[in-house]
Amino acid sequence: MVQNRNKLLDLFIGNIANAVVHRILERCIDNQEIAKRYVKESATSLEIAKRYREKINPTEDFLPVKDIDYIRTKIVNKVNSELIFRISKGYKGIDLDLVSKFADDALKEMKVAE
Amino acid sequence: MPDFIETFIYHYVILRNMELISTVSKGSRMDQIYIPKNRHGLSIGSYVVIKPLENAPEQAQEDGENKSKRYFYYNIDSIEPLKIRIINEIMFMLHKYLDSYDNILITGSFAENGFNFNDIDIVVVSSSNTEIKPIQAKIQERTGIKADIIVIANDALIEGLSTDPLYQMMLSKCIARERFIYKIKDRIDYKVLDLHLLKSKPLIDNFDVLNGGEKYHLTRNLAAIKLFLHSKKISKESVDREIKSIFSLKDIMEIKDNLLDKKRFIAKYKRVYDETFKMILAGINK
Repeated sequence: MVQNRNKLLDLFIGNIANAVVHRILERCIDNQEIAKRYVKESATSLEIAKRYREKINPTEDFLPVKDIDYIRTKIVNKVNSELIFRISKGYKGIDLDLVSKFADDALKEMKVAE
Repeated sequence: MPDFIETFIYHYVILRNMELISTVSKGSRMDQIYIPKNRHGLSIGSYVVIKPLENAPEQAQEDGENKSKRYFYYNIDSIEPLKIRIINEIMFMLHKYLDSYDNILITGSFAENGFNFNDIDIVVVSSSNTEIKPIQAKIQERTGIKADIIVIANDALIEGLSTDPLYQMMLSKCIARERFIYKIKDRIDYKVLDLHLLKSKPLIDNFDVLNGGEKYHLTRNLAAIKLFLHSKKISKESVDREIKSIFSLKDIMEIKDNLLDKKRFIAKYKRVYDETFKMILAGINK
């Protein structure tokens, strides 16, 4: 299926955002023994994100700064919106300060940015 | 092939090596043991020996130890003899290499009928910090099958079973070294369920890039959480039934074989996902 670059970027962003939300929510689990079990589960979203990354040029190099800024901003906004919605419903223990760091980590993992 | 060779193979190769494991079922006047219709040998009217599995001599191990140990089969009606050998081998190795443990559970697709498994999921119930990687490597070397071992303390296992539908599904069907009975009361932990549900979210936007197996796993996760929130029993069978009912499927293979009507499936999936998410969030303030 032929997909345009913007569509691919949006799908890529959606999956990275999901993985970042997952990583932040993992930290909220009260029982650390239980929490350990969930650490690898954000891998599903990252695995899908990787499939999109392989279709976004340049595949072998970091993306242009303009793209990185766009992707990063979108991820941070998406994650914040997901988390703030939960906080508004009474969810306890969510650390919004982690969003930027985890987004940057994920972008490095996906070879989007240095 | 000459007749006598066929007869020889039938009597001395097939019948002599034939073993079926099955459970005794309760009948109205007589109890019975069901065996598959599709089988080699054991024709209608032939005489067979029935004996309890726990008395079957365990395979002699390489180091000469010949111990007899019975295992507990939970919700497993029958299991292939080849798998029994693998189970014996794995239990023996774990017993030998683990410093201490309360129980060993073999679960996952290995415990299902047939040979559709890529690895063997093993749960070691233990409070000690055992280095598991060398044992995994030894099991793989000896059986040729990748072992996915998790070590969990008894308290954490009980906590997992009471709050996590996936623990319940995973352990609804298992082979245990020691008797495995827990009286668990379901407890809704919104953080655990929210995290689990999040795992199923990618299916909505990524339908086209996921294969049938992945779609099935994400859907199964969603259905298990839904059943758990409604205090329903969770097993692979009950979850599959729920999936069929939600998506009006005749056969669960329609998902695994990627034969879904995307528009219809996604619409229903999204509806169930949103309802389940709402239920989880509604539980936060309870």
